[in-house]
Amino acid sequence: MADPFKARNPFAPWDRRELPGMFDVEETARRVGHYKWAEMKLFEVLGGWIATVPEIDVKLRLGTHCYKHAWHAELWHNRLPELREMNPERLTCPPNDAMVRFVAALTEPEAPEMTIEKLVGVYRVFIPHFISAYTFHLNNTSQITDGPTSRSIKFILQDEFDDWRDGEMLIQSLLTTPAEVKRASEHQARLEILLIEAGGIAGPGTIGSADVE
Amino acid sequence: MKVTVEPSIFSIVKYDADEIAGVAKEMLTLLGMKSTNLTIEVDETVAMSRVTTTMGDPVHVLAMSSAFENLRKPRTFSADNTKFSLGRGLLRVRDRLTGNFSDAPVDEDLSIVEAATWETYCVGRLSRLGLKVHKQRWHYNFRNRHGFNDATDKHFETIWESDDLTWSQLTEISRHAIA
Amino acid sequence: MRKFFPVEDLARDERFNQATNAERMADTRGTSNTGVIRKARSTNRLTPARPDATDAARSLMHGIMVGEIQALEGAGRTCFDFVTGEEAPFELKLDMARQCWDEARHVEISVKLSEWMGTELGQFVENTVLFAAACSQDPVLRLAGVNRALEGLAIDVFTTMKEFGELAGDPYLAFCEDWMLADEVTHVKMGSVWLRKITENDPERRAKALEFQSVVDKIFSYGGLRSESDESPILLARRFRELAGFSDGELSEIADVSLAALNERREALEKTFATSPA
Repeated sequence: MADPFKARNPFAPWDRRELPGMFDVEETARRVGHYKWAEMKLFEVLGGWIATVPEIDVKLRLGTHCYKHAWHAELWHNRLPELREMNPERLTCPPNDAMVRFVAALTEPEAPEMTIEKLVGVYRVFIPHFISAYTFHLNNTSQITDGPTSRSIKFILQDEFDDWRDGEMLIQSLLTTPAEVKRASEHQARLEILLIEAGGIAGPGTIGSADVE
Repeated sequence: MKVTVEPSIFSIVKYDADEIAGVAKEMLTLLGMKSTNLTIEVDETVAMSRVTTTMGDPVHVLAMSSAFENLRKPRTFSADNTKFSLGRGLLRVRDRLTGNFSDAPVDEDLSIVEAATWETYCVGRLSRLGLKVHKQRWHYNFRNRHGFNDATDKHFETIWESDDLTWSQLTEISRHAIA
Repeated sequence: MRKFFPVEDLARDERFNQATNAERMADTRGTSNTGVIRKARSTNRLTPARPDATDAARSLMHGIMVGEIQALEGAGRTCFDFVTGEEAPFELKLDMARQCWDEARHVEISVKLSEWMGTELGQFVENTVLFAAACSQDPVLRLAGVNRALEGLAIDVFTTMKEFGELAGDPYLAFCEDWMLADEVTHVKMGSVWLRKITENDPERRAKALEFQSVVDKIFSYGGLRSESDESPILLARRFRELAGFSDGELSEIADVSLAALNERREALEKTFATSPA
C-alpha cells in the first residue's frame, strides 16, 4: 500500500480544471436570474398546454417536461442567494422586452389543432436556445470558483437533451404533409426572429461572439 | 323464430324494442338457432351487463340494461354490444340444447368460476364467428377466477380455442387451471 | 392562450366521450341491491368475490385513468393560470409542476393496467367533474377541491384496488396501486400544507376553501360510491388519509357526508324501482 503521508498534488494529473472564468459573481447572478425567469415561463406554458392538446402522448410528455423545467427554475432560485442576491425575485426577470415578446408569441397558440406550433416553439426554438446558453455558460465559467453553477448546468443539460429529443420525435411524428412542414417552419422562423432580437435567453452575449475581435 | 322484447317502450334508457329484436334474430341466424323463440326482458333500472337465460319455449333472456348499452354514451343503444351480450347468452342456450350440458347449473346458480369458464368458451367461439372481441378482457376475467400464472393461461387458451366441449370437460379444465 | 380554461374545451382524441356530472346524476339506474344482483352479492365492496368484479374493476380503472388525465391537466393549469408571487407562491407552483409529472406517470400506469385488464382507451364515458373542480379562480379552492377532496378520494380508490389485486393474486395491480397510493398521499399533504400556509391570516378564505372541499367531497360521494359501509364499492381509507394529514374530525365529517350520500342514493333507487313497470 502507498504511504498515506507522502505529499500529493491537490490537483491530480487528470484534473485539468482551471481558475479563470469569464463571469464574475455579479454577471453569474444576472445570467442565473434570466435562466430562472425563462425556465419558469417554460414550465408554466407547458403546464397550461396540457389541457389543450388532444394527442395523449403529447399531453403526457408535456406533463413530464413541465416538472423538469420547474426543477431547473428551483435550482436557479436556490443558487441566487449563494451569488449574493438575497432577494431572488429582483433578478428573476427577462433580459429585455424582446424576450417578453418572444414568450408571449411562444405562449399564444391554444387551439387543439395547434399542437405543431406548440411543440415547435418549445422544442425547435426555446430548448435549443437553452442548450446553447447553458453550454456557453458551462464552457466559459470558472471550473473551480463556480462549481455549483456548473454542476446544476450539467444536470439541466442532461434534461434538455432528453426533452429536446422527445419533443423533436413528437414533432416529426406530427409532420405528415408539406403544408404541415411549412406551418412548422414558418412558426419557428417567427419565434427565432424574436429571440434573435432578444439576444438569447440571457440577452445579448448569451452565447458570446464568434466574430474576430 | 319469434322474438318478443319487454318492455316495448323504454323510459330510462333510449332503446328501441324492434331494434333489439332485429339484432336478436340476426344472432339466432348466425348461431344456427333459427327454430328458437325468445322473450327478451330488459331491466332498464340496472346499469350492469349481466345476461341470464332460462330454457323453455320461448327461451327467456333477462338482460340488465348495460348489456345493450353504448358505454361511451350512457343510456344509448349499441348494436355491437347487444350482439355480443346476446351471443354469449344464446351460445349457453345452444350448449344446453345439445344435451352435453344437462348437468350444468341454471344460469343464475352458476358459480363465479363456472361462469368465467363458460364465458371464455362462448367468447372464443363468437370471435371465430367474426364478432369483434377483445380477448384480453376475457383472459383477465379468467385469470381473476383461476389465478395469475402460466398454467392458468395455458388452460384459458385450450378453452378459448375449443368448439365442441361438454360441461364436464369444461369444468375439468377449470379445475386443473385452479390447481 | 387564455388564463382559466373551461372544462368544456378539454382536448381529447376521437376515442373519448365526455359527460358532465349533471348528466351522470341524471342516470337513475342502480348497479346494486336489486333483484338478481342482491341475490348474487352479499356486499357491494369491490372485491374479486363479486360476480361482476372483473368488469367493475375494469370500469373503475378506466375511471382512474381519465381522472388522472384531468388531475394532470388541472395541476398544469395551476402552473399557468396564476401570476407567480402575486396570486400563487413560486413554491406552490413547483409543487403543482411536480404533481404534473406524478399524474403523467399515473396516466401511463393506468393505461398499461387498463391494457392488462382488457380495456380500450375511451371504452367508457369520461366524467369531467374532476377538472371542473380544478377550474376555480382561487388557487386555494383548487387545493381544497382537488388536492384534498379528490386526491383524498384517490387514496380510498387506490387502497380498494390494491386490496382487490392482492385478493385476486394480480401481481401488477397490487404493485402499481401501491406506488400510486404513495404519490397520492404526497399530493394530499401538499394540499393540506398549502391550504394552511396561504390562509394562515385569512380565516374567511380558509372557511370558504373548506366549504368548497366539503361540496366536492359530497359530489364524489354521490351514489354512495365511497363510505365506511359495505354497501359502497370503495372503502374510506382512514389510515392512509391520516398519513396525508387529515384530522380525526375531518375524517369523521367525510364519513358522515359519504353515509348521507349513500342513504340519498338508496332512497332514489327505491323510488326508481317503485315507479318502474317491471
